[in-house]
Amino acid sequence: MLLKFRRGLTHITLVSMLGVLLAACGGDTAGPAATVPADCPNVELSYWNPFTGPDGPFMGTLTDKFNTDNPKIKVTMTTQADYYTQIQTAAASDTLPDVAIIHADQVATWAFRNVLRPMDEMVSTMGVAEADFPAAVWAAGNVAGKRYSIPLDIHPMTMFYNEDLLTAAGMTAPPKNRADFEKAAQAITDKGQKGFMVTSGFPVQQIFSMLLYQNGGQWFNEDGSKAMWNSDAGVKALQWLKDAQNKWSEPNLEVDAELAAFKAGSAGIIWNGIWQTTSVTGESVTFKGKATSVPQIGDKPATWAGSHQLTMPTHKSGADKCKDAAAGIFIKYVVDHSVEWAKAGQIPANSKVRNSAEFKALDPQASIAPSVENAFFPPSIPGITDAFSKLDDAVGAVMSGKATDIKKALDDAANGADQILAENKSKYGTAPGSTP
Amino acid sequence: MATISQAQGQPLAPSRVVGRRKLNWTPYLFILPHLIFFAVFVGYPFFSGLFISMQSYDYLRPEANRFVGMDNYIALFTPGNVKFSEFWNALINTIEFVVYSVPPLVIIPLLLAVLLNTKTPGRNFFRAVYFAPWVLSVAVTSLLWWWIFQSQGGLFNYYMNALGLPSPRWLSTLPWAWVSIVVATVWWTIGFNMIILLAALQDIPDQLYEAAAIDGATGAQAFFRVTLPLLRPVLIFVIITTVIASFNLFGQPLLMTRGAPAEATGGGGTEPVMLRIYTEGFVRAFQGSAAAMSFVVAALMIAISYFNFRFLRERE
Repeated sequence: MLLKFRRGLTHITLVSMLGVLLAACGGDTAGPAATVPADCPNVELSYWNPFTGPDGPFMGTLTDKFNTDNPKIKVTMTTQADYYTQIQTAAASDTLPDVAIIHADQVATWAFRNVLRPMDEMVSTMGVAEADFPAAVWAAGNVAGKRYSIPLDIHPMTMFYNEDLLTAAGMTAPPKNRADFEKAAQAITDKGQKGFMVTSGFPVQQIFSMLLYQNGGQWFNEDGSKAMWNSDAGVKALQWLKDAQNKWSEPNLEVDAELAAFKAGSAGIIWNGIWQTTSVTGESVTFKGKATSVPQIGDKPATWAGSHQLTMPTHKSGADKCKDAAAGIFIKYVVDHSVEWAKAGQIPANSKVRNSAEFKALDPQASIAPSVENAFFPPSIPGITDAFSKLDDAVGAVMSGKATDIKKALDDAANGADQILAENKSKYGTAPGSTP
Repeated sequence: MATISQAQGQPLAPSRVVGRRKLNWTPYLFILPHLIFFAVFVGYPFFSGLFISMQSYDYLRPEANRFVGMDNYIALFTPGNVKFSEFWNALINTIEFVVYSVPPLVIIPLLLAVLLNTKTPGRNFFRAVYFAPWVLSVAVTSLLWWWIFQSQGGLFNYYMNALGLPSPRWLSTLPWAWVSIVVATVWWTIGFNMIILLAALQDIPDQLYEAAAIDGATGAQAFFRVTLPLLRPVLIFVIITTVIASFNLFGQPLLMTRGAPAEATGGGGTEPVMLRIYTEGFVRAFQGSAAAMSFVVAALMIAISYFNFRFLRERE
């Protein structure tokens, strides 16, 4: 398996002019405010997240603000590197935090591995409503019929473009559809630069997946027992991507090489996660580096995205009603004030926050935000990311030229993934805590 | 002891028992401290690992652990199984790395040691220089060489381009990815082997070289007829430890190539077996299968070490 790296989800250092107003404004989106029971004088909560990049301080600020606004609760935030290793070590020694960030595609795995607990009962008292979230990102937290997480953000695939090169090639606006995109990439390439740089490693599988969904395909069947990416839609998607590499990119690029080329000014357009925004736009580059939502290449809009979700880990001593109430208040507060978190280069999952005036003032997040409405997520079953390792290899092998038969590469990857899915199913059973 | 007992006229049998007990306890007491550590940190994990390798095992889901006999091993030897292709791809990668890396990791330090054993001015400075990289961590070393080899403005390709030479993708195509990893590893670890070989060279008496010189031996003859034979025990130690160290390859591909390039059959072209085992056990949570992989690798390493030791014994 090629290692799937979650790049340290990073930065955006936009000047916050509205910061002072946020606490007040965020309150508008709140439902009926939950309170800590009267017999819980001072509740201390521990909160873990993997935000080791420049995004960490934004979450720190938000946590500090919560502590100021809620004098009866004290939240201590800990940012961990090598996050899921820390989580499983803590689970083994029963030292899990009270609140933890988990990625959307990992929620089911950790629910089945006894790290997370269902929070159905709390969701109603917390005042978090399903209607406030895009259906796909909310569904990611539903495991075997129970709710295990509340979505905090959605971080989509984003198009970064060098406006100087685009203008020089005669384009007045970033491409939004296939015809314009191909024209722009070709025009920039004709001028002597690379129109669209794509690597043979991360995030090329994610780019392929996006094209797969845009062509009407999907990763897995409904119950997650079979890989479906070797469909016609998949072949078409990978063929387009391979052709794009031949026409507009250097071949065989290693991970991050497209970012380096873009920063050096030799690549017109790249697609990568929104978390790269600060490193390739604004002051970080000597040209006009811009970010916007990815264009629609296939028949329908679809955007690859990840999502950070707020969860409540298990404790062997059982639930503590004071801590649970406080955790509910904290989670609701963080979601309601996620515009503060959006400044770190994220799109809030909560639609009310996403539609707020404060968020719409954030550039380029606001212009990327509409794409999260059509973000897709894998089925919420344990070990689903294991199956993606096969797809990573197939797409990487085609892009690096090690495999030339696209259909066969996708078929082989689907067969391997089916084996992994079957093995996971027999290992995990049908619901957390069940023995197969 | 028995004679003394008889001479003192005491009954034979009990005294003998007492005497033997005294004799027998002493060596055990001497090895006891080590035995405790061995039992706790090697013996127990070994048998516990063997037991885990025969289960469907996840330490976070004790309720679901179950005995599966040899299934985890059978999967590793069943062509067509995902684990078969992933495991053997990674194991063969590791063996490839051992083959590529051990010769330079022995020969270059040997030549450096011979050079630095002469009375050249500044030799202490050079000893320190060649040894210095060894104190760095794998992360620092890998990042440094990643910067040198990366394709967009990396040091190597920058100069290759400037000289009009072809600039291969050092980190994402074969065989260049192995070249990068071997170069980084050689730069990083030659200092250690060099110091050991240097110490051994300093133990070779000067008279032997004087005698060789009187007999009319050239420098090369002295090296092959005097230096090498006397260095052999240490050289074999260096070879064995280097083979084992190369077998444990993990950090350099993890940080430099991330296992790239991807193989169509699954796995990566530079993914080492230690990384595969880690992924199986701690990313995928199949600790039973990961333990089985470890035992297959351990068996292979025991076999290789056995042949190494036999080789050593026969020559002596």
